[in-house]
Amino acid sequence: MKIFAMKYQSFITLFARIILGGVLVSAGALKAFKPSESAGAVAAYKILPTNIAHLVGYALPWLEIAIGALLIIGLSTRLAAAVGAFVMVVFICAIISVWARGILIDCGCFGGGGAVDPTKAAEAHRAYLLEILRDLALAALGVYLYFFPYGRFGIEKSLQVIEEQ
Amino acid sequence: MAKQKKAPVAKSGDNFTRWLVIGMVTLVVATGAIFSVISQKTKAEESFLALKGFKQGAPVSATVDPANGSGIMVNPDNAKTIDLWEDPQCPICNDFEVANGNYIDDLVRNNKAKVVFHVLSFLGAESTAAANAEFCAADEGHYLDFHKAVYLVQPGLENSGFFNTANLLKIGSYVGLTSKTFTDCVTNGSKLAQVQAALDSMPKYNVKGTPTVFINGKLWQRKSSTFILDEFSAAVEAG
Repeated sequence: MKIFAMKYQSFITLFARIILGGVLVSAGALKAFKPSESAGAVAAYKILPTNIAHLVGYALPWLEIAIGALLIIGLSTRLAAAVGAFVMVVFICAIISVWARGILIDCGCFGGGGAVDPTKAAEAHRAYLLEILRDLALAALGVYLYFFPYGRFGIEKSLQVIEEQ
Repeated sequence: MAKQKKAPVAKSGDNFTRWLVIGMVTLVVATGAIFSVISQKTKAEESFLALKGFKQGAPVSATVDPANGSGIMVNPDNAKTIDLWEDPQCPICNDFEVANGNYIDDLVRNNKAKVVFHVLSFLGAESTAAANAEFCAADEGHYLDFHKAVYLVQPGLENSGFFNTANLLKIGSYVGLTSKTFTDCVTNGSKLAQVQAALDSMPKYNVKGTPTVFINGKLWQRKSSTFILDEFSAAVEAG
């Protein structure tokens, strides 16, 4: 297993970069041009004061796009992966927080967001669980990339790759 | 887990790349956020275009009824009673207004029903400010006009800074409310006690959300997924 992991590490890194980067870019792009939706979605979590929540809602999609783009092209992968994993942990905490406080919202992860019809409480809770699991998986990819940032088709090359050449 | 070794780049060069990347990311995020804020502001300004050429209706005398949840009451002697519970920032109330607003105008202006408007403010500070202004407009006899105008300019985003004193006065000026009593009332929040009383009366009438409608004291619930004028007017006529 260890040998397998070492042998295919550069492919695993590429895979992790594409998945995490792709999710971040698409999530960001779906929200970036709908600023009022995005700002409203962040405010719906009722964690930050309204005006600060709106500001986060305006800025967050662009951060996701920038970090995702860095991961896909493989530039400053370690830094981008750390930020990516960090925002995933923040998302997880935010969802746990709304769940614990009994607030029913659509996470607004890929656009949309806001309050959910109270009759759909069971569906909303199931969605929270799936979102937490999804974000955990993405955070795990980020952690992996932090330790193994150099892989195929990245702008940066590791010492090993250069030696092989 | 052992960290992967980095390429043997000169340390200063590597640091340069890192800071370049951090700088670029910051630039992208800042530019994007500023773009979003500006596009929001322009959209808010443009929403006033909806009020261009707004025709002020005839004044309707209205009283605030403390016995009935501090609602704004018109046509007190009519036997048919309609209670409307709305929040100025509530988007679904806007849908209700789009479908049934003109019909309710007709009920009020032609004395076809006693209508009590319960102006709520549970969606935050800007609802309170807008509700205060609606009570001020009611004093001037133009609750209907002002209330209609508020929905015409209602931003998609709650508590975004739109319903501030300046913009509420601007809405007032579009519907012909420029008197000193109105501007003073909006600026000083003269009706905040009524706004609070209306909000506090919600549990008494078992009102949990907006829009809530009672026809002759009976809760009305739509059967269709959207508000349809024919459905509402039939319910009102049936009593």
